[in-house]
Amino acid sequence: MRHSKLQQQVLVLYRQFLRAAQNKPGFIPRIRDEFRENARIKKTDVMHIEYLFRRGQRQLEQLRDANTKQLGSFSKPKGSG
Amino acid sequence: MASVRAASRLLSRRAISNIKAVPAAAVQNSRNFHFSIYGKKNNAKVSDDISTQYPVVDHEFDAVVVGAGGAGLRAAFGLSEAGFNTACVTKLFPTRSHTVAAQGGINAALGNMEDDDWRWHFYDTVKGSDWLGDQDAIHYMTEQAPAAVVELENFGMPFSRTEDGKIYQRAFGGQSLKYGKGGQAHRCCCVADRTGHSLLHTLYGRSLRYDTSYFVEYFALDLLMEDGQCKGVIALCMEDGSIHRFRSQNTVIATGGYGRTYFSCTSAHTSTGDGNAMVTRAGLPCQDLEFVQFHPTGIYGAGCLITEGCRGEGGILINSEGERFMERYAPNAKDLASRDVVSRSMTIEIREGRGVGPEKDHVYLQLHHLPPQQLAARLPGISETAMIFAGVDVTKEPIPVLPTVHYNMGGIPTNYKGQVIDYTDGKDKVVPGLYACGEAACASVHGANRLGANSLLDLVVFGRACALTIASEHKPGEKLSPLKPNAGEESVANMDKLRFASGSLRTSEIRLNMQKTMQNHAAVFRTGSVLKEGCDKMDDIYQTLDQIKTFDRGIVWNTDLVESLELQNLMLNAVQTIHSAEQRKESRGAHAREDFKVRVDEFDYSKPLQGQEKKPFDQHWRKHTLSYVDRKTGKVTLKYRPVIDTSLDEEDCAHVPPAIRSY
Repeated sequence: MRHSKLQQQVLVLYRQFLRAAQNKPGFIPRIRDEFRENARIKKTDVMHIEYLFRRGQRQLEQLRDANTKQLGSFSKPKGSG
Repeated sequence: MASVRAASRLLSRRAISNIKAVPAAAVQNSRNFHFSIYGKKNNAKVSDDISTQYPVVDHEFDAVVVGAGGAGLRAAFGLSEAGFNTACVTKLFPTRSHTVAAQGGINAALGNMEDDDWRWHFYDTVKGSDWLGDQDAIHYMTEQAPAAVVELENFGMPFSRTEDGKIYQRAFGGQSLKYGKGGQAHRCCCVADRTGHSLLHTLYGRSLRYDTSYFVEYFALDLLMEDGQCKGVIALCMEDGSIHRFRSQNTVIATGGYGRTYFSCTSAHTSTGDGNAMVTRAGLPCQDLEFVQFHPTGIYGAGCLITEGCRGEGGILINSEGERFMERYAPNAKDLASRDVVSRSMTIEIREGRGVGPEKDHVYLQLHHLPPQQLAARLPGISETAMIFAGVDVTKEPIPVLPTVHYNMGGIPTNYKGQVIDYTDGKDKVVPGLYACGEAACASVHGANRLGANSLLDLVVFGRACALTIASEHKPGEKLSPLKPNAGEESVANMDKLRFASGSLRTSEIRLNMQKTMQNHAAVFRTGSVLKEGCDKMDDIYQTLDQIKTFDRGIVWNTDLVESLELQNLMLNAVQTIHSAEQRKESRGAHAREDFKVRVDEFDYSKPLQGQEKKPFDQHWRKHTLSYVDRKTGKVTLKYRPVIDTSLDEEDCAHVPPAIRSY
């Protein structure tokens, strides 16, 4: 099954993200999670996909910036606070 | 966001590592967060108990500027120009910062309209501040003023011009020639009546030449402080809900004022004192917060600003009898007396029954006696504002006006170089890594009252000063001092608490309570009993923050959350303002007490100094207030710091000894 134009763009973006995140700890798992989660969006929901795509491009620019160093996370354990 | 749930589901199948486990003894209610590098598998232990997760992006810069108004932009591109890798974190797009609303102008002793000298400007500013301003900072600002204005003109700012092409300077409140003896001075350089708009757009345009990284629509939550040194800022990206930590050796705060603590103000809805609150939460003091300027001419009802430039062009204030009442209160300067004098005069007129309108609760600003061409050329903006917000044609009818909260003289205490200071053991101590400029800072050039058109000057001069100080003391590419991996955890915990808050009071309700209390209890004229009642009410309202209720549980563009964070910031500013006002038992500048009508200095300057004994520090009030807040209890502690009375160069410009202030 051939990918649509939009799907190809998303795949290109994914590749660009993985390449950009090479030497910065913590980004790759998050990138994978985010793309896998959003893969569930229906192919027909173009507005949503395009919005996420534009946002992803901005986030990619920020990731490529030399001043962005690593990705961590603050997690709250269940049943507290 | 949806990814958070998925991430937590996915992560529950992986091991979570605690790079730095929080010791059990340090765990409090807010410290339930663990920091880890995203997805690292250090332990084999599978953990199934993550409920919420916030991704945190770490950035490293040489300098971070919080706020992109006049001062923030000037500091940011000043630093970029000096070669520093600079980030500018702002919750608004730069051209939407409140600087854009400034109308009047920028003071500088250029001498285009008549002979002028910056030392006369220095004298006027010191007198305007009611001798609470630090004279070294005022010396610095007024001496740099002509160079700063020429620099702006070179950047392309479209100043109004005289017939021979020089920058047009208009008369403005409190400006005089020859140390007050030579009549009204014309030293306010302006761009019709939208100087702030031009200034901000000029600075923004100029800043695009440099490679500053802008982080627009990022809400700065807190400073990252460690061992008394500021090591950066933690911010929330409003667009996607991610947290960002900006590590740097130099942080500049230029977040503006906090007009929105009052019900009626000329400030934007975004003037919420975020910088002051960040500094308070870091355990540092704020200075002179009780000095809130009431601008004489805010439109009655709407609160929109009508610039002092109207009075500079010849506009007059009249009461119900059609009398130009300012002649009685300030025989020399009349309508161009200092703003606090004019506000008080207007309030007295209204109180004595000579107000206009059906409820006799405001006065009129008359402009229709001026030639229409002058109004169209010099005051086009306010002509339109008056038409839209008051339905008044300025060429035919007067504008209804009322004193409205406009500016905060107080803020984060700094020295004349822009470095933030704390006052311990009787001495000023610089807080390493932290700087402040603009309305958020208190240098203090404005003291107890700000002269009109000095604020825009303050922005550019001290924005540049921060950049110069950082450039002189640090080098680009300096190694960053180490930071704990879980720095900023408390801020994230607080944000998380607000995001899921389910109390009984809406954010808007608590905010309205605070605004009405401040408006009723800490207005133009203040009385001890009313202030005390206000303090108690504010303390109660501060406690109601625990019962806050928010509705939006999402993380993307959660404006409910951002407004609640802003409310927390406003509340810290409000309690400090009203407690400082209640404690200050004198009238000075914009702080007017009905029960203590006189200024209390170390000498009585209304009589000859010969034979007078100097009052000890704790018995007079010519001193700066420093206020600290315990964030959990909301309790305000006050300390006092002496005013700096010496200029930077006594031979070039002698300091001005205190005297009685009359216009």
